[in-house]
Amino acid sequence: MRLATALAACAIAGLVLAPAPWLVSDFALSLTLSCLMYVGLAVSWAMFSGATNYLSLATAAFFGIGAYVTAWGHGTLPYAVAVPLGGLAAALFAAAIGAAVLHLRGAYFAVITFGLGELVRHAITYGEKTWARTVGRVISDPPATETVYLVVLALALAAVATAAAVRASRFGLALAGVGSDEERARTLGVNTRLVKTGGFALAAFFAGALGAAVAVRWTYIEPASVFNPFIGFQTVLIAMVGGAHTLAGPIASAVVFSVLTELLRLQFPYAYLIVLGALLILLVLYLPGGLASLLERWKWRQRHA
Amino acid sequence: MGFWLELIASGLITGGIYALVAIGLNLQYGLMRIMNISHGEFLMLGAYLTWLAHTFAGVNPLAFLPVVALALFGAGLLVYRLCFRRIARTSPAVELIEARSLLVGFGLMYLVQNAAYLVWGADLRGYSFLAEPVEIMGARFTGNRLAAFGFAVAASLFLIAVLRWTLVGKAVRAMMQSPAGAQLVGIDTAVLHPVVFGAGLALAGVAGGLLSMVYEITPAMGEPYTVTALIVITLGGLGSAAGCLAGGLLLGVVEALGMHFTSPSLKMLLSYAVFIAVLLARPKGLFAR
Repeated sequence: MRLATALAACAIAGLVLAPAPWLVSDFALSLTLSCLMYVGLAVSWAMFSGATNYLSLATAAFFGIGAYVTAWGHGTLPYAVAVPLGGLAAALFAAAIGAAVLHLRGAYFAVITFGLGELVRHAITYGEKTWARTVGRVISDPPATETVYLVVLALALAAVATAAAVRASRFGLALAGVGSDEERARTLGVNTRLVKTGGFALAAFFAGALGAAVAVRWTYIEPASVFNPFIGFQTVLIAMVGGAHTLAGPIASAVVFSVLTELLRLQFPYAYLIVLGALLILLVLYLPGGLASLLERWKWRQRHA
Repeated sequence: MGFWLELIASGLITGGIYALVAIGLNLQYGLMRIMNISHGEFLMLGAYLTWLAHTFAGVNPLAFLPVVALALFGAGLLVYRLCFRRIARTSPAVELIEARSLLVGFGLMYLVQNAAYLVWGADLRGYSFLAEPVEIMGARFTGNRLAAFGFAVAASLFLIAVLRWTLVGKAVRAMMQSPAGAQLVGIDTAVLHPVVFGAGLALAGVAGGLLSMVYEITPAMGEPYTVTALIVITLGGLGSAAGCLAGGLLLGVVEALGMHFTSPSLKMLLSYAVFIAVLLARPKGLFAR
């Protein structure tokens, strides 16, 4: 997709979706909110991991850090400050760990990003218990639902626009170069270390900001819920199912999965997760390029028919 | 004296189980580059099988271990055939095998764990077996912990011996050193891969059976053990069974000491800190030359 087309699509989507809080029911609004959240998470994840093939499982950690910035700042920081601050905190954390662990590849990188997320979760649990003498924090008097919705909408669209801009830029080419052959990219003069760390931090910014923005929707914040590894897995799953190397794939599959989750998870929690697990296995085995690869194959056939 | 002995020994006892869990995973990863993140879920299955046999048929858990091992070995053959064989055959690069098998592992984790929730519910289950304390040199242990430790170490040593002195073990080691070279001298991947994968799950099942004698079990019990196994593998080095045994015992002692001098709620924090420190400082394992 061309950059101009993508940006225009973002603007139109923004105009169409912005009045939703005043038009649709509460249930539909919360469903849309959850769709937008996963669009933001999956697109920003794919921006880094889809391009570079570094499988990051740290999304839950970034999300949780953002949520905790909101929780700690609640009452003192205005919402408009807490959201970007949550994103910045996550981006700084990502830059710091990225500089340390981005030389590891493959399963090692995936496992250590997962481990770091758990480390942060346990550290916050312990810190809260020892110094603040609480298990979780209560968010009293949250901002209006309309505000939260508009902020999440803005973040999701910003994530899509950023991903489109990155794909069209030299930076995006460098990320893709790291993904296809890191040695060669370095030989061609790409500072791979800087590019990887920058891309990782940029993706983390959106996950952190979304965490900070959505956290106020939960009245009670505790490490087990905001650092829930499920958020990270769901993000990876959505991006991979849609096709992590494309822009439109993760968006489409984020909408499908969020609707499925909201409808099925409460009624059949275990069965839903069993199906999700089976689906993940089948997709990796038979469609490693995601749903987008079906479309690509079809287009290719049309052209060569 | 008795105090230190008790502390170190309780660390070693936990460490023995860690080693057993880790060896199975290490074999799979070292040989096939399959990072089976659902390893702990199969440990949980082993624990539930043992609990079922003991509670409903009155079978001695220790005598039931071979059955658990066989059942999980069969499950391993099936899982390999259904999931991992295709990945190994269709992935063009080793990195892709790792990434894809990791994702499939996550899928299996969801599937097995939630199936267990559906079948057995979220309640803690347990039974009492060999719970009387035994006194050794002024330190007191329950019999089941000693038995679990003994069996875990015996199983680990048995596996190390198999790898070192039998022809099959030699084939496995050859395959780890050079997959292409091993195939050139006639070692059959199509037989060896499923067998080793099954053996890995069988070890996890045995570890689960031993754990069910000591702790209460739930469908979510497996996940922490997977993480611990990953830590032990990093400590001991990829593909090294002896390194796993040493790494497991070491981690058990470090955890026991750390928990005693700080606080039990720091246990997971300590393990992750050790894991990340080792991965950053010595990514090839503590004992690598």
